[in-house]
Amino acid sequence: MTAITLAKGVTMGLRAAMERDSKVVVMGEDVGKLGGVFRVTDGLQKDFGEDRVIDTPLAESGILGTAVGLAMRGYRPVCEIQFDGFVYPAYDQIVSQVAKMHFRSRGRLPMPIVIRIPFGGGIGAVEHHSESPEAYFAHTAGLKVVACSNPVDSYWMIQQSIESNDPIVFLEPKRRYWEKGDLDVDVAPDPLFSSRLMREGTDATVLAYGPMVKTALEAATAAADEGKSVEVIDLRTLSPLDMAPVHASTRKTGRVVVVHEAPVTLGLGAEIAARITEECFYSLEAPVLRVGGFDTPYPPSRIEEDYLPDLDRVLDAVDRSLAY
Amino acid sequence: MSSAGFGSGLDEVFGPDRGDGPELIQLLTPEGERVEHPEFAFDLGDEAILGFYRDLVMTRRIDTEATALQRQGELGIWASLLGQEAAQIGSGRAMRDQDYAFPTYREHGVAWCRGVDPLHLLGLFRGVDQGGWDPIADKFNLYTIVIGAQTLHATGYAMGLQRDGVIGTGDPDRDSAVIAYFGDGATSQGDVNEAFIWASVFNAPVVFFCQNNQWAISEPIERQTKIPLYQRALGFGFPGLRVDGNDVLAVHAVTQAALQRAREGSGPTFVEAFTYRMGAHTTSDDPTRYRVSGDLEHWKLKDPIERVRAYLSRGGVADDSYFAGVENEADELAARLRKGCLEMPDPSPLDIFGQVYDEITPELEAQRDQFAAYLASFEPADASADEGALR
Amino acid sequence: MSDLKWFKLPDVGEGLTEAEIVTWKVKVGDTVKINDVVVEIETAKSLVELPSPYAGVVSELLAGEGDTVNVGTPIIAVETGDAGAPAATPTGPTPEDLVPTPKDDEAVEPGLIGGPAPGGRTSVLVGYGPRTTEAKRRPRKGAVPADASPAAAQVGVQHSFTPHATPAPDVSIEDATPAVPPELVRRAEPRGTSPEVAPPETPASVTVLAKPPVRKLAKDLGVDLAAVVPTGPGGTISREDVQGHTSRPEPDGSATAVPSSPTQAGQRETRVTVKGVRKMTAQAMVSSAFTAPHVTEWVTFDATRTMKMVARLRSHRDFRDVRVSPLLIVARAVCLAVRRTPEVNATWDEAAQEIVVKHYVNLGIAAATPRGLLVPNVKDAQAHSAVELAEALNRLTAVAREGKTPPTDQAGGTFTITNVGVFGVDAGTPILNPGESAILCMGAIRKQPWVVGNAIKPRWVTTLALSFDHRVVDGEQGSRFLANVASIVTDPGSALLF
Repeated sequence: MTAITLAKGVTMGLRAAMERDSKVVVMGEDVGKLGGVFRVTDGLQKDFGEDRVIDTPLAESGILGTAVGLAMRGYRPVCEIQFDGFVYPAYDQIVSQVAKMHFRSRGRLPMPIVIRIPFGGGIGAVEHHSESPEAYFAHTAGLKVVACSNPVDSYWMIQQSIESNDPIVFLEPKRRYWEKGDLDVDVAPDPLFSSRLMREGTDATVLAYGPMVKTALEAATAAADEGKSVEVIDLRTLSPLDMAPVHASTRKTGRVVVVHEAPVTLGLGAEIAARITEECFYSLEAPVLRVGGFDTPYPPSRIEEDYLPDLDRVLDAVDRSLAY
Repeated sequence: MSSAGFGSGLDEVFGPDRGDGPELIQLLTPEGERVEHPEFAFDLGDEAILGFYRDLVMTRRIDTEATALQRQGELGIWASLLGQEAAQIGSGRAMRDQDYAFPTYREHGVAWCRGVDPLHLLGLFRGVDQGGWDPIADKFNLYTIVIGAQTLHATGYAMGLQRDGVIGTGDPDRDSAVIAYFGDGATSQGDVNEAFIWASVFNAPVVFFCQNNQWAISEPIERQTKIPLYQRALGFGFPGLRVDGNDVLAVHAVTQAALQRAREGSGPTFVEAFTYRMGAHTTSDDPTRYRVSGDLEHWKLKDPIERVRAYLSRGGVADDSYFAGVENEADELAARLRKGCLEMPDPSPLDIFGQVYDEITPELEAQRDQFAAYLASFEPADASADEGALR
Repeated sequence: MSDLKWFKLPDVGEGLTEAEIVTWKVKVGDTVKINDVVVEIETAKSLVELPSPYAGVVSELLAGEGDTVNVGTPIIAVETGDAGAPAATPTGPTPEDLVPTPKDDEAVEPGLIGGPAPGGRTSVLVGYGPRTTEAKRRPRKGAVPADASPAAAQVGVQHSFTPHATPAPDVSIEDATPAVPPELVRRAEPRGTSPEVAPPETPASVTVLAKPPVRKLAKDLGVDLAAVVPTGPGGTISREDVQGHTSRPEPDGSATAVPSSPTQAGQRETRVTVKGVRKMTAQAMVSSAFTAPHVTEWVTFDATRTMKMVARLRSHRDFRDVRVSPLLIVARAVCLAVRRTPEVNATWDEAAQEIVVKHYVNLGIAAATPRGLLVPNVKDAQAHSAVELAEALNRLTAVAREGKTPPTDQAGGTFTITNVGVFGVDAGTPILNPGESAILCMGAIRKQPWVVGNAIKPRWVTTLALSFDHRVVDGEQGSRFLANVASIVTDPGSALLF
């Protein structure tokens, strides 16, 4: 049992995957000597060499486009996008090429590519460094999207993602990079595409992923002080969604609140609300409520705490749900 | 706004001789005369040229038959390569088995050289699949429709070759290279410029083969560049060459040299095959709206097949019976394609669900099952309704 | 083997349904190759040359020059010779043929952008072009009746293109257990400032406000929500509203056995659907009557002292806020008498082959309510003081009268009193509430001549009847219990002895 940070979990997971499979290559901006701007690839180039830990030119489309070629040649590229807001230049390659190649080739050209994106706000950054672009990718057929929320998951999920033969957008909650947790490598991990019940409750269900899982758990603790029993589920996988635990919880509590940093309009919460309505209509004591970013660009950092969902906004939604 | 508004004209882009200047590498004139070039020579014999002739005719026949099939409603669309046969056969025949080609959607001649059944090309344009050939086995990637995206794939694949240690070993059966095809319009794309940078800084074994057919649908080359395209390579740090794209011998010689350079580990080369798109952009395009017929007449005189035939006839390498035999073979190919095209079954709408992922998701399985049940809920359509109709 | 092929006039585009044959380029007997131009036609917009899709010998021209022909009509027949294989290799069009030539005409040539394309499509740059469609459904295999129930529709929609598509998961699970036990339902007060708190304002056309689980309950109970009086927040219909409605006589009498509407002329019978409380009562009574062997005994006695006591209590300070009736005394008597014969307060557990003797009395009172017969019970009645018991009985009856008795009040009873005396009858042979082993029936209490000492005096006389489950209770215990209750009601003071 070791206490590690979430960032370290990714580092250790990458290292384990690279040791296991010589076809795994890490590529991105500043991932080499510097070890990445969040130090997630720290030490990897030193140990695995410049051919396997590739400092790329500053061109995100180039990173993904060449990753496609490497994948065709049998490699398993792990691409680091330095910040969420910089993934858009690569959007065409991801959506038109990475996502569709398996389909177009009817399976002859699998794309075992992992696209690591530090995402979300809360680090007081200048613009373009705090975005939550997950819905764009979850909306895209051919991609799979997962988000880790804690060090144990970051360690296992990155390895599971690398082992997948499908392209995976791997979202890392950058403001939680330094959160610590105990890792026991002998405990088998959950399947990659599964959501997980984090805290049991009876009155309402809060769904979250990535950075919002911690917020949701804190909200549940605060709610307990008020005598409200809040259940929390970490979705972990955004595409495909693992709805079975969500439906079970909905049937139990009848009230669901979905939390994410991304704007609510057409976000993951909208999809989840629709699925719950389709499957659990008769169990719903209240409409599924969403807590998320507003339909504005991400604001300047001095007011980001107002923009980001926090404990109070989560509980405000729980209260509103319970009022029905 | 006319192109003159930019103060740019063909003279500025191509020089006063409009592309026919001394920088143009040519080994066979439009009249069928072999000419020398100080750096490049066609080092194969007449037997190879006979083969090229056959390739050129077959490729054009594939193209014309496909165009006719589109006119009869059997293909949704066809992107004609008319006029560009030599650029494709010359470069395609310069590849070795282990080399890998990344085409656009117009490289029917390269596909022919790689042994791809032309029927597979029709499948894509008929709309029954998105490329039915095996890109790994044929070493010929699926067609890429998004302009220029494949140049990055080619570069990445070339980086994979480097990591596999199949560059610069001196073993001719082992050393490998990649060739990326694209057009003049694609040179404006960010992806293509990124590919140039990546290939350059990583010294990737890739040949950037640009068929400058002078038209990006309706936009002339002046809208893409103000210097000759091949000169751009210098700015990225690797050599650029302009070859007569209608001269199969010169294209072959230049491409072979560029590929060999890549295989040896000397990095990328830019080849500008200077040619002309004789047909429309696609079967539905109407080039009479944007270009004058004078250009077409000018380029008809430079036809890539006629000059090879002239050379073969003049030197007695081939007689009329040879040419007739090739024509006959081409017609047989066309008949096979027509029959195969008409018999090509539509895919099942349920097939698509299983092709999205290596590991299908439960969501997709559920969608498929629901859709299957939905489809099964309809009365069977009247199968005889459309029989024999021109669809 | 010969094979005759008909070339039908291509459907030349959206809105263009016919064309004129201008010039035949071939005649009968001509040999044509694939792609040979066979005819020139004129559509509403342009002249078009049609290439033959067949090779062979022209056997017939089916339209004359100058004829206007509908799309889809065969215009030429070609004898293709051998059926399977192509009869002849196609002739390639010359490259020049395929390069469109400039036209003076404004019309869009077939095949060019915006022009007609085969199959009734319109040409686009990148494919076949958009199809012409009809506003008409395709026929389906009779699986979707027009009058499909909303429930079936709901299930159908739920499983269209959604994962985990097992049949009606929500419905089946909900049938098994309520999604949310009523005691867990929270009732926070809506805050007026937040628009999300109160259910959204009702559009004029929507008359019913109810959350999904309430709608499900209503559907299961066969309740028309439009007929339910809402008492929930914001005018919503609550669970209780639906439950309270189930046995309330409806204007059409559908919920009661006796229709309240006037019999229509010529109608000699009225058929009433058995549902709701009627249905549950019927099932319970059948189950009870044919499971537990019933024995009924009765006793008639002088209840004058109880009547006097009731009068006294009514003026007592402790009882000023409650209604006191002889039922209170009988109920109290039952609780006391049970101590001596606990068998009457027990359950036959068939599965375990055990008799479960209860050490508490959940005392049920059979009540005729607007919804029908309900038996709410006072939990732990044995622990209640007289005044507490009175309060509890008052509350039960008040709630029952409003038709709002919740399921929890009806669950878990151990002994039942039914008071048929209120209807003016003297006694009856009651049927056990299922799961209980005895039921006490109170008859009317009326002044009757009664022998007191050796004189006949007017006294308040009543009859109590007791039915019991002979599997659990023998005649001895049943008789003793009935006698004990009667003795307490005869002389409330004797309660001190219990």
